[in-house]
Amino acid sequence: MKNLALMLFVISLIGGTFTSCSKKEIEKVKTLHLYVSTQVKGMDPIFADDRYSSNEVGRVYEGLLEYHYLMRPYTLVPNLAEKLPEVSKDGLTYTFSIKKGVLFHDDKCFPNGTGRELIAEDFVYSLKRLADPKLQSSGWWILDGKIKGLNEWREKNTGKPSVDYAEEVEGLKALDRYNLQFKLTRPYPQFLYALAMSFAFAVPREAVEHYGPAFLNHPVGTGAFILPEFKQTNKIVYVKNTKFRNKTYPTDASDELKNLLEDAGKPLPLVDKIEVEIVIESQPAWLNFQKGNSDYMGVPKDNFASAIQGNTLSDDLKAKGIELIVEPSLDVTYVAFNHDSELFKNKKLRQAMYLAQDIVKQNELFYNNTGLPAESIVPPGISGHIKMYKNPFRGPDLEKAKKLLAEAGYPEGKGLPEITYDCPSSTVSRQIGEHFKQEMAKVGINIKVVQNPWPELQSKVQKRTIMTYGMAWGADYPDAENFLQLLYGPNRSPGPNGSGYNNPEFNQLYKSSSMMQDSPERTALYEKMYRIAAEDVPMMYGVHRQSYVVKHGWLRNYISTDFEVGQAQYLNVDQEKKKSLIGKL
Amino acid sequence: MENVQTSTNINFTPRITPKSKSLWQHAWTQLKKDKLAMLALTVVTLYSLIAILSALGVIATGFDKEVGASYMAPNLEHILGTDIFGRSVWDKMIKSTEVAMSVGLVTAVISIFIGVLLGSIAGYFGGLLDELIVWFYTTVSSIPGIMLLVAITFIMGKGLFAMYLALGLTSWVSLCRLIRGEVMRHKDREYVQAASSVGCGDFRKLFVHILPNVLHIVIINFSLQFQVAIKSEVILSYLGLGVQGRPSWGTMIDDSKLELARGVWWQLFAASIAMFIVVLAFSILGDALRDALDPKLKGK
Repeated sequence: MKNLALMLFVISLIGGTFTSCSKKEIEKVKTLHLYVSTQVKGMDPIFADDRYSSNEVGRVYEGLLEYHYLMRPYTLVPNLAEKLPEVSKDGLTYTFSIKKGVLFHDDKCFPNGTGRELIAEDFVYSLKRLADPKLQSSGWWILDGKIKGLNEWREKNTGKPSVDYAEEVEGLKALDRYNLQFKLTRPYPQFLYALAMSFAFAVPREAVEHYGPAFLNHPVGTGAFILPEFKQTNKIVYVKNTKFRNKTYPTDASDELKNLLEDAGKPLPLVDKIEVEIVIESQPAWLNFQKGNSDYMGVPKDNFASAIQGNTLSDDLKAKGIELIVEPSLDVTYVAFNHDSELFKNKKLRQAMYLAQDIVKQNELFYNNTGLPAESIVPPGISGHIKMYKNPFRGPDLEKAKKLLAEAGYPEGKGLPEITYDCPSSTVSRQIGEHFKQEMAKVGINIKVVQNPWPELQSKVQKRTIMTYGMAWGADYPDAENFLQLLYGPNRSPGPNGSGYNNPEFNQLYKSSSMMQDSPERTALYEKMYRIAAEDVPMMYGVHRQSYVVKHGWLRNYISTDFEVGQAQYLNVDQEKKKSLIGKL
Repeated sequence: MENVQTSTNINFTPRITPKSKSLWQHAWTQLKKDKLAMLALTVVTLYSLIAILSALGVIATGFDKEVGASYMAPNLEHILGTDIFGRSVWDKMIKSTEVAMSVGLVTAVISIFIGVLLGSIAGYFGGLLDELIVWFYTTVSSIPGIMLLVAITFIMGKGLFAMYLALGLTSWVSLCRLIRGEVMRHKDREYVQAASSVGCGDFRKLFVHILPNVLHIVIINFSLQFQVAIKSEVILSYLGLGVQGRPSWGTMIDDSKLELARGVWWQLFAASIAMFIVVLAFSILGDALRDALDPKLKGK
């Protein structure tokens, strides 16, 4: 239906229904104009399980840690925590001290309507809410089985009429007003990343109790912006939190981001107001952006050809002062084999199939040449990715592919059964499948493309009634572990390892690395796994996609990032520039 | 022995009677007069011929070959341009004809078989059997068609065969109703009573005597069903539930919904025009057949 609507829209465009609007004055209050492409579910951190909701939640709420805005690779820095936690030698106990004097937003849920100070107990409460069996948060997985006593607490409260928050959990304790201690069940080096996710942000108990179920629409946080009430409308308007603590724009940055230090040391947030407009269809959003109604947006696929020529912005967009930002995303597309199938235990067959594919051509056809052809499973930008590495089995090399296919026992594909390739039912997915079929036909392998609705594809993968299938994986946190887990034997589906790849050497390496803190030794293990994941060809990697974002000249400090939560506080609008540029639109 | 008549004594004079045309002959003469209908018939024959030739591998064999760069605009060499993989859109359009026509034919045959069989049994025997069949088709028709289609393709897996079945099994109800009504009207007519009196059994009466008299309804329905099936095939393939791994007008239209933003219109054009012509031809033919076969319009 969506596509139909789009078609109708395009037709109405041709009909000239749209007329350009008159010149507009820019508002006196420094306002950030953002756009989101989907309805926002609500403003409760424990339910913000998609990128869009968590971005909104991140304007109001904060967590203990955040990613340094200008550091690459992504680095965690304290946010509500005073400093990074002290971690015990065994890696099981984390002690945080939190910032003093941080205030919740003024709200009628507090006595006299004045926000009180944030204390360590607020985190204990907020994380217990995440574990609350009655609330069924979709973010429970970040703590599930990891904090001592929390699973037991969750189970114990499942049958009770009301959940007992007063009962102490051994692994989740406020030592005093400002100190907080976590005890883990096993070493979990990604624990800190979990605390930077919006699920783990601090909410005040008063607000939850005062608003009840309506808490979803009454966010009360400590963040840089205030949203008095959330309504399911097409516009969300935030105002600056005037009592925001003394947090300043970073003064240090990675070399490539040094140009963004103009506002270094200035108190945050840098704008007075945020207006977030919800526009579901990409075409109106694109037109809105061009009129200056939103400050930045990703380039819609269908407008790519007209907006970007070569690898730069088209001249007419440039003339309007629009800039293009290209940033690799932490993701990888791949075609997975079902390793339960006897057929694909044949390593040479897997290698031959990978060699027969032209990934560069695929990149050109389906990603407008914007992706980076992948060599292995870990994308660039996080440790574990080897920069100059070339996968010896990445094609196209038809001669070598044919040779390996013969060695595998199927000269010219003879003796091979028809191999099915399952994909989601979208047009592009099907086209990718057809392309795969064509490529395989070149070496004599016969592929049948099968389209599935998303849930059916998922269930086929889980039930393992599948031969090969196309997928993509995006990072939950900037750690190669989040990608390597896709190949760890014991993680087989219903866990994240959908292919069922099970290589004892890889498993051993993964197991050792999963207990280790970030260190050169761990990176060495990651790189070993990276090589295995490349040369053993457990999956055929496609590309690491890149995000193409266009922004107006007046928007300052914008960078495209995989972890956008909390970004708005760093953004700035150059009012003078906006005045001069808006006339050109 | 004298009084026995011999054949030599009898004079046979052939009586000249004006030749009476059967309903079918009459319909054919009627149809022949209708130029538009004949054009439609030619178009349908042409499409069938294309479908057969492509199924036999005589034409459009290169539909999955790369013949040029991707998204080449229509030119002299490739009159309908190329698609994303540089395949000839013309060849894809021709190859899709095979899918469309085969879906139309098989679906119409399945739906007519079920519709006629159940309809005539219900109409002829009446009673409990009738109630059972009426209950059955009421139930089937109260399930939204597209849901049933989706359910059948889920069970059967996807592909051409599933689509034949899915479309055939969901499109017989209206014909079944019509046939049931007609058979009810016919079963007490004199010619049926005559058949009973010479000792014909139920099935002989039903299938040898009554059925030929309601066959015109079946023929009209066939031509209408054919084009509905073609349209449904295109919609299903557009939604990704249809044919897999071979071209279809539906998948071509699906492709072009993204291509339009790039200004690539030829794939949409090819698929739509090919479908438009055949569906229009079948509709015209169906109408003309209805007029030609309706005894009430005879001689008008």
